[in-house]
Amino acid sequence: MGADRIYKCAELPVPVSRLPDEALLSGLATGDPELAVTFVRRFQRAVFGVAIAVTGDRQLAEDIAQQTFERAWRHAQIYDSRRGSVTTWLTTIAHNLAIDAVRARRTEPVAPEDLDALLDVVTETPEQWALADEASSQLRAAVAQLPREQGRALVMAGIYGMTAQQIADWEKIPLGTAKTRIRTAMGKLRNTLASPDRGDHGQ
Amino acid sequence: MVSDVTCEKLREIGAEMALGVLPGRERAAAAAHLDRCAACREYIEHMTLVGDGLIGLVPGSEPPLGFETRVARRLPQDVTAHEGEPHTRASDLAHKAVRSRARRVRLWVASAAAAFALACGFTGWAVGTAIESVTASSSPAVEIQTPLMEGELTSASGLGPSAGDIYAHPGDPGKPGWIYMTVDLAAVGTPYSGKVVCLLERTDGTTIRVGTFTLSNGRGDWGAAASVDPAALSGARLTASDGTVLATGDFETG
Repeated sequence: MGADRIYKCAELPVPVSRLPDEALLSGLATGDPELAVTFVRRFQRAVFGVAIAVTGDRQLAEDIAQQTFERAWRHAQIYDSRRGSVTTWLTTIAHNLAIDAVRARRTEPVAPEDLDALLDVVTETPEQWALADEASSQLRAAVAQLPREQGRALVMAGIYGMTAQQIADWEKIPLGTAKTRIRTAMGKLRNTLASPDRGDHGQ
Repeated sequence: MVSDVTCEKLREIGAEMALGVLPGRERAAAAAHLDRCAACREYIEHMTLVGDGLIGLVPGSEPPLGFETRVARRLPQDVTAHEGEPHTRASDLAHKAVRSRARRVRLWVASAAAAFALACGFTGWAVGTAIESVTASSSPAVEIQTPLMEGELTSASGLGPSAGDIYAHPGDPGKPGWIYMTVDLAAVGTPYSGKVVCLLERTDGTTIRVGTFTLSNGRGDWGAAASVDPAALSGARLTASDGTVLATGDFETG
């Protein structure tokens, strides 16, 4: 498995810009400026996208994106490709940092127009998503099929980091209903990703 | 005092926990349950992957101009501060890398190492070593390509086409070589879990024990610094801790 691909790679020199994500990540340890710039350039759009989506503040998002790359640099050796792609790893770091920053800054959740806009955009399937990996496509389709109220609860909890109580307050629904919406939505997504025709995560 | 959480309760609050929005007290109770329930840990791991995937659906957005340069400039240059970095010559490596910035880095060996890391698991040290071996080259015009030896592992049971791959690199002059192997015995019907031993076979019939690592359900990848003499090395053997041969492979020079 994979022997052909490896052999072909070994025969040809590969420019830095075409290195696999994992190689770029580990290359950060060399301190090579060219590798660092290439690494940041490759992932900055995804990282900044998460940061700006959660915070809604470009300056704060830039700080978070910067912290994300610094953290990736410091902890590159703990990255495990079996648990997900480099992009997933970085966006998860960015998300955690962004949630912490938002919680430290304010207590109120997001504006509802941002919420619906984000829910729309994570479920749309324009041509630009055609090259996304199969798992992402399946997940996107599964989110799109959720009842709107479940999708909103999912985005509020999973992306904006709102607790069930905050969701209940925002949606003016009982706490139990908010919890049920989160649980039901996540259960549906989990079943989608656990379908028999899907391989292991990140591979 | 944290109240007890049952498996049923855990499944109720697992989604919130996986998304990181479970309030502190409930989270503590859930964590205590996870500490003693493997099935619920697996459930939470799956839910966490779903949560990570959801974040991955957020659309990208371009940061302000010059962002990558500002970030790259701030990444510390002294890599000796790298926490837990197994590569002990990292500082030396960084200096070489900085000296080499004006020339085109040709990552011949690194590409091979990266490819198997990509295919089979991540090994930062191995790729780092490979990058070093190339960036230390003094001339961009003369590309010195130290032979990377590779071999396909075959299951001792004889089932299946491949049980993994093994790579050996002698290192550049003055630098140690390395061994890297990726194993997938599950693919050949041997989902062995436990410690395994990597032995290198020499052309004179002797073997050298290089080290041990752990397989989980037949899968694992591992690397170590090793003295590699391409002329004397013929193959490799993977054995269980009781000496049972699990897989063997013969080296070819790439």
